[in-house]
Amino acid sequence: MKKPLLRASSLASPKQQHNWDWRAATNFIAGGAGGGLLLWAAVVNASADATRMAILLGLILIGSGLTCVWFEIGRPWRALNVYRHFATSWMTREAVVALGVFVAGGLAFLTGASALSFLAGILGLTFLYSQARILAANKGIPAWRHPRSISLMIATGLAEGAGFLVCVLSLSSTPVAFPVLAGLIALIVVRAYFWKSYLGGLVADGAPDATLKVLSGIAPRLLVVGHVLPALAVVAAMAGMPGRAGLSFAAGIMVVAGGWFLKFTLVRRAAFTQGLALLHLPVRGQGTAGAAAKPGWKVAPGVKAG
Amino acid sequence: MAAVQPKSVKHVPTLCYNCVSGPDFMTVKVVDGVATEIEPNFAAAEVHPAKGKVCVKAYGLVQKTYNPNRILTPMKRTNPKKGRNEDPGFVPISWDEALDLVAGKLNAARAKGLVDEAGLPRVAVSLGHGGTPSNYMGTFPAFLAAWGPVDFSFGSGQGVKCVHSEHLYGEFWHRGFTVASDTPNARYVIAVGANVEVTGGPCAVIRHADARIRGYKRVQVEPSLTATGACSAEWVPIRPKTDPAFLFALIHVLMHENGLGKLDIPFLRDRTASPYLIAPDGLYLRDPQSGKPLVWDEVSGTAVPHDTAGAQPAVAGAYRLAHAVVVDADKERREYSDVEGKTAYEMLLQHIAKYTPEWAETICDVKAATIRRIANEYLEAASIGETIEIDGKTLSLRPVAVTLGKSVNNGWGAYECCWARTVLAALVGALENPGGLVGTTVRLNKSRDNRHLSVAPGEDGFMVQYFNPTSKEEWQSTPSTRNLHQTLVPIVGHNGAWSQALGPTQLAWMFQGERPDDWSMPMPTLPDVWIVYRSNPSISFWDTRHLAEVAARFPFMACVAYTVDETNYMADVLLPEATDLESTQMIRMGGTKYMEQFWDYKGVVLRQKAVEPQGEARDFTWITTELARRTGLLDPYFGAINKGISGVSPLKGEGYDFSLDPASEPAPEQIWDAVCRAASVTLSEGREEHDLEWFRENGFFAVPMSRLEWYLTPTMEKLGLRYELPYQERLLRAGRELGRRLHEKKMNWWDEQLSEYTALPEWHDVPGRWIRNLEKSGAKLEDFPFWLLTTKSMQYHAGGNAAIEVMHEVAQNLRGHAGVIMNAKTAAGLGIAEGDRVEVRSHIGATYGKASLMQGIRPDTLVIIGQFDHWATPFAKTMDAPSLNTIAPMSLDLTDATGSGADIVRVGVRRAEGMAA
Amino acid sequence: MKRYVMSIDLRRCVGCQTCTAACKGANATPPGIQWRRVLDIETGEFPDVRRTFLPMACMHCANPPCEKVCPTRATTKRADGLVAIDYDLCIGCANCVMACPYDARSIVHEAHFAYGDTPMASEAARFDPDRIGVSMKCTFCVDRIDLAARTGQIPGVDPEVTPACVNSCISGAMEFGDIEDPESSVSRLLAQTQHYRMHEELGTEPGVYYIWDQS
Repeated sequence: MKKPLLRASSLASPKQQHNWDWRAATNFIAGGAGGGLLLWAAVVNASADATRMAILLGLILIGSGLTCVWFEIGRPWRALNVYRHFATSWMTREAVVALGVFVAGGLAFLTGASALSFLAGILGLTFLYSQARILAANKGIPAWRHPRSISLMIATGLAEGAGFLVCVLSLSSTPVAFPVLAGLIALIVVRAYFWKSYLGGLVADGAPDATLKVLSGIAPRLLVVGHVLPALAVVAAMAGMPGRAGLSFAAGIMVVAGGWFLKFTLVRRAAFTQGLALLHLPVRGQGTAGAAAKPGWKVAPGVKAG
Repeated sequence: MAAVQPKSVKHVPTLCYNCVSGPDFMTVKVVDGVATEIEPNFAAAEVHPAKGKVCVKAYGLVQKTYNPNRILTPMKRTNPKKGRNEDPGFVPISWDEALDLVAGKLNAARAKGLVDEAGLPRVAVSLGHGGTPSNYMGTFPAFLAAWGPVDFSFGSGQGVKCVHSEHLYGEFWHRGFTVASDTPNARYVIAVGANVEVTGGPCAVIRHADARIRGYKRVQVEPSLTATGACSAEWVPIRPKTDPAFLFALIHVLMHENGLGKLDIPFLRDRTASPYLIAPDGLYLRDPQSGKPLVWDEVSGTAVPHDTAGAQPAVAGAYRLAHAVVVDADKERREYSDVEGKTAYEMLLQHIAKYTPEWAETICDVKAATIRRIANEYLEAASIGETIEIDGKTLSLRPVAVTLGKSVNNGWGAYECCWARTVLAALVGALENPGGLVGTTVRLNKSRDNRHLSVAPGEDGFMVQYFNPTSKEEWQSTPSTRNLHQTLVPIVGHNGAWSQALGPTQLAWMFQGERPDDWSMPMPTLPDVWIVYRSNPSISFWDTRHLAEVAARFPFMACVAYTVDETNYMADVLLPEATDLESTQMIRMGGTKYMEQFWDYKGVVLRQKAVEPQGEARDFTWITTELARRTGLLDPYFGAINKGISGVSPLKGEGYDFSLDPASEPAPEQIWDAVCRAASVTLSEGREEHDLEWFRENGFFAVPMSRLEWYLTPTMEKLGLRYELPYQERLLRAGRELGRRLHEKKMNWWDEQLSEYTALPEWHDVPGRWIRNLEKSGAKLEDFPFWLLTTKSMQYHAGGNAAIEVMHEVAQNLRGHAGVIMNAKTAAGLGIAEGDRVEVRSHIGATYGKASLMQGIRPDTLVIIGQFDHWATPFAKTMDAPSLNTIAPMSLDLTDATGSGADIVRVGVRRAEGMAA
Repeated sequence: MKRYVMSIDLRRCVGCQTCTAACKGANATPPGIQWRRVLDIETGEFPDVRRTFLPMACMHCANPPCEKVCPTRATTKRADGLVAIDYDLCIGCANCVMACPYDARSIVHEAHFAYGDTPMASEAARFDPDRIGVSMKCTFCVDRIDLAARTGQIPGVDPEVTPACVNSCISGAMEFGDIEDPESSVSRLLAQTQHYRMHEELGTEPGVYYIWDQS
């Protein structure tokens, strides 16, 4: 891969990150959903088959995410070095949790023991949390480092997990229970709330213009596809419209799709770097220092007038 | 870092002279015989104003050495057809075959006579940028001296791409072939297009950086915000090519709004021709007996010769003289009785009255208040009356200067600019005084290494000048060079090392095609043999597509080649030369040289072979010696080397003799060993002798030099001479004589150029010349609404680095490289976004590149950096970079009286739809 | 206790990229990879425009976010203030690349050379396979700093133990030295000037000081 030369004008502004490509994004996309799914599978604890299917799906999701990452890292054969920094690295912690997830989840799948399912669920949630913290620890990407990204990532992971669970249940012989559907609606509402809160926080605290443009650009689609439509489908299913299983399945898929769309956007398209800031322009011999500058940012927190 | 531990690591001291602002010091890190890094040479930190450092270009030299695209064996052409669309079919040959081929052509030319039936040399040589090749071409100058008449007319950019009028007029007025501010002492600099942070080399960069920290003010007057503008306290975005009007208005403010009382009266009175009395016909009033120009002596109340002891010449005013004479062109003498003589200062005062800041505002698009403020700041900063002590001598301190940049000081309008800025210096006594405007080298006069030695008393109280004669008897009516330098340009002279090469080089190219209808001289011929060294005129001149076609017609062309390029694509033979890190040569350093290279030391520095040449590449001194041998010129060749040509000082002098015996055919190493010894002995006045081996170890040898050598005024004072300012009677007469000669030959095609010979320059519509040229070609002005300019890049400078990948890479960090810089608002109006591929079209063609949008450029102006648009040079041809040269015409209309043009052309710009790269 | 820092005088910098090229030479970075570069920033609107040249590289933060996120401890903060990378530990996960607010780090996944796939002699001599697939950045020329620790030379004073960019700078814009030593040239210069550090609000405590005026 020959790195294309960036133009000087691009260098001066926040740049879209290219180091974590679709493979890294897949880890957040699939892994987060998988973590959420493991949790809800344990909590709902529906039929044994459905629960085992859900656990298997959760493990596949997490596993495929991690596999993608393995293909992305520069030195895959040293991957075990990832366990060397538990003290502060959320990536290490994610990897540790992942081990637990696979042990507990694997055993739960094999044995069907609800205690193991529950343990896997808790670890799934922890995995989800670790992922949220990985993103938030990246100070180089303002869209990620905003503290509200953590709640957003968790909220969407949980919603996606619930969405997947509803899909699994809708495919099983027993109809999706009313409380599960109610729960899905609640999670849709919660995710919508945290999304709005996140975006508002980002606007208020400042982020690269390009980040805000991308994120606000997806807001209407995200609202409709990821929230309004699945909520209507769930309501319809709960109201007894015919095809409850189909409606539930569609709702679940839409919740997942909305979340994945959100995460892909966040990890890839909206992930612009911090860029630079000139708190003062230099005095060239005589005259005054120019006004502060932060190219690519409208509001410039931390920048005082020169 | 690398797995294998190196067996040997050396740090080889050497130099960089990739631009005119050299030499600068560096070391080459050589690991197991491979050059790996360029580093500064801190051993030279004390003697070098730039503290032993080199600029970015030098850091490309490792790649330059190992570039896989290099020509590494001699090659000959197998396709007899030449042209851009003809594959030359170069095939490798041995050095013997290559040298025999070239020598055979040279011997054949010699046998026919050194000049042809048109009186023109049969051998032509083209050298690249700004004299830098002479710092790489070893003993080739000795070969040229041994050969006899050689035509340097086919320029690769000199004359049009150099600061041509500054060279000619600067050297005329104050021996300033290149002119600079005395930056170490400067407090106020008005830089009109002078892009010194990019072109001045490390010496200029550190000096201006120090000056900024010291709190000097630099005002950058230029249509776009270059790096130099960026680093200035103020940017004045002037309309292109209207600089004379701006400068005239500055003079106006000084003379009319401040007045003589606030100017440097002693300097004007004693060191300039301001007191010389001018007759109503515009000529000096002279003493009837001695013929000397007269001044009005305020002590005796009479007109007396300018050099009358005890006289107190009046600077201003008009005086009645009972009897005087004037001497016009062709020494025509006229008598005057009871005539009013106005001092030259008075003439200037009246002349400049109309050029108010308000007038200039309408021309330059710079507010009158801004012009007025800048003029007054300049005057105040001049601190007239202040002195400084240098090495025990008290000199005037006048820390102000106006510096001029390329396209301001060449082409139409450049005479006016050079004159105005020199007058601005004279008015406040800043000419050649500490802090002020200083010349730094001479090239059209001798001695080329000490401009003080070039000053001797000449006519009329001025320093001696060696104009090309324009008298009936001596005028060269049959040109001896294809650029007609002796025929057309009196001021360029014929004595200096560079006089010939600084003639109107574009005429050499143009007249190979069409000539004026009333041409009455022999038809210009093509040279039998054309040798090209470190030069690529098919990229670096104008109308380059057409130029390449002309180059294809030359009967025999031998190119010293680094890679295939756009010029040597037409060559018959390619000779691979050992490049910068592979070859040996000793050159002078320090003293006062180009640009801001004026040092506290002078000496010599060795470029040495840090690594073995790649492939079959050979040191150019070896190539040259072989050519001398094969052309039977070894005797005169070594004779020239013994005289010091190609070296630094004669190889034989008082108390030393290192001269070489041609019979022994000394090898290059022996030549440079002798040069090293002679140089160290002469520099140390016999105290030290160092051989080549010593220099290989130590790199350079320097002796201290007094800063007094930076300033010419003490020398002028010592010789009782005046600067030939402000009134240009000599030029007026030379122009009249030249006109008569041409008209006697029934030629009027140079008449427009003759209009430049004025005693006091007038504003004429300079930009309008380009517009009229456009309209004359049948094009409509509205189709070409923008000015296209060019500017230099430190990474590429004149373009010689175009094949070096790392230069391209790092240059991309700066705005506009390999693109078309345009005003963001203008671009928005045209639907052009950042990075869009655009077509820039003039009336002769189009060039393409990506739009680079900036606020720091006038809305009516576009800028293309550097010289690109390569189609043959490997790597460079993949850059998709545009070039002004492709679309700038060569035209007699756009040629000034010195034979120069300027990098400016009217263009239109649009998105290149569907042509996205 | 030492802390090596760099000061960059924006009043001096002319954007020439000499430091960029010198760094590329000193550290043999592949095409397109610049451990430091000088950015060209334009602000304002015609005709009131400013253009500023801003050298950027690793800031060798006292509180480096890259170090915190690194899962392998390949990135460490040394006692002398340098932020270092152990290429033998790094897995190339790019987490540090994302964590750095100065865009200082990069990863090269495949070897490539100035003129295509074949290295020139100068590139072949210095090609280091250990640097493929791992995170890289400005090291403050750590080999030189380590040499100073052995020889007693002073970084920022003796060129042999001073970072290549500082040595190369033709405008004299950069100083390097121990900020804990009040007598170091960098400490003295910072005492005489007004300066700032970039993105301090992120809590990184960067080790590069940008000078913009006299005090």
